[in-house]
Amino acid sequence: MAAAAAAAGSGTPREEEGSGGESAASQPQPPANAPGARLSRLPLARVKALVKADPDVTLAGQEAIFILARAAELFVETIAKDAYCCAQQGKRKTLQRRDLDNAIEAVDEFAFLEGTLD
Amino acid sequence: MAERPEDLNLPNAVITRIIKEALPDGVNISKEARSAISRAASVFVLYATSCANNFAMKGKRKTLNASDVLSAMEEMEFQRFITPLKEALEAYRREQKGKKEASEQKKKDKDKKTDSEEPDKSRDEDNDEDEERLEEDEQNEEEEVDN
Repeated sequence: MAAAAAAAGSGTPREEEGSGGESAASQPQPPANAPGARLSRLPLARVKALVKADPDVTLAGQEAIFILARAAELFVETIAKDAYCCAQQGKRKTLQRRDLDNAIEAVDEFAFLEGTLD
Repeated sequence: MAERPEDLNLPNAVITRIIKEALPDGVNISKEARSAISRAASVFVLYATSCANNFAMKGKRKTLNASDVLSAMEEMEFQRFITPLKEALEAYRREQKGKKEASEQKKKDKDKKTDSEEPDKSRDEDNDEDEERLEEDEQNEEEEVDN
């Protein structure tokens, strides 16, 4: 599983910050040899950097970082789909920024995003 | 150089791929919308981290663990994520266990052979730790983070 291996096995997410992100962006599509176990596409190093940005956080376990990465992926999927519903109503095939804004206003769970994207 | 937390973005290529796979074929996304989603994902991680940290502190723990994050999801009203996250966690644990066993096996094989000094050895030892110690990094990072 190239994605998981690159993100977790090569050791880059542990100690190094910057290199993890770059390698993830340029890596090829991971082979689908583990059905349904596409563990995480987001580089754990970047997620870890976000977690460390919180001054109240002392330590974060590896599993926590992984789950946050996976949750962020699910979140991206969810918000993209919700925004698409708005675009569909406008009969457009391209998602625009305003579709996203509409989704954020319409969906309660996205309330935490209000005012943060500008 | 102090980076604001919101500026820590996740790689665009990955975000775009996730979006494209979530949407039907033929649907496009404008650059502005894509970068807004990317930013939203960063905010999401920050918010989830903060929530999870509250649970860790309630449990008098200093280390965020997986269940803190799951509790945070519930608190943030993203219950629908909980089941897929649990499944992903199981798969991740299996994989980590597999890697650990593989690296231990490697060690055994290495010991059987005449050993040559390998730099990877120390990395394998790190792999044995379940918890990621951020402390070492924090000492280095303190100069960068302007808090």
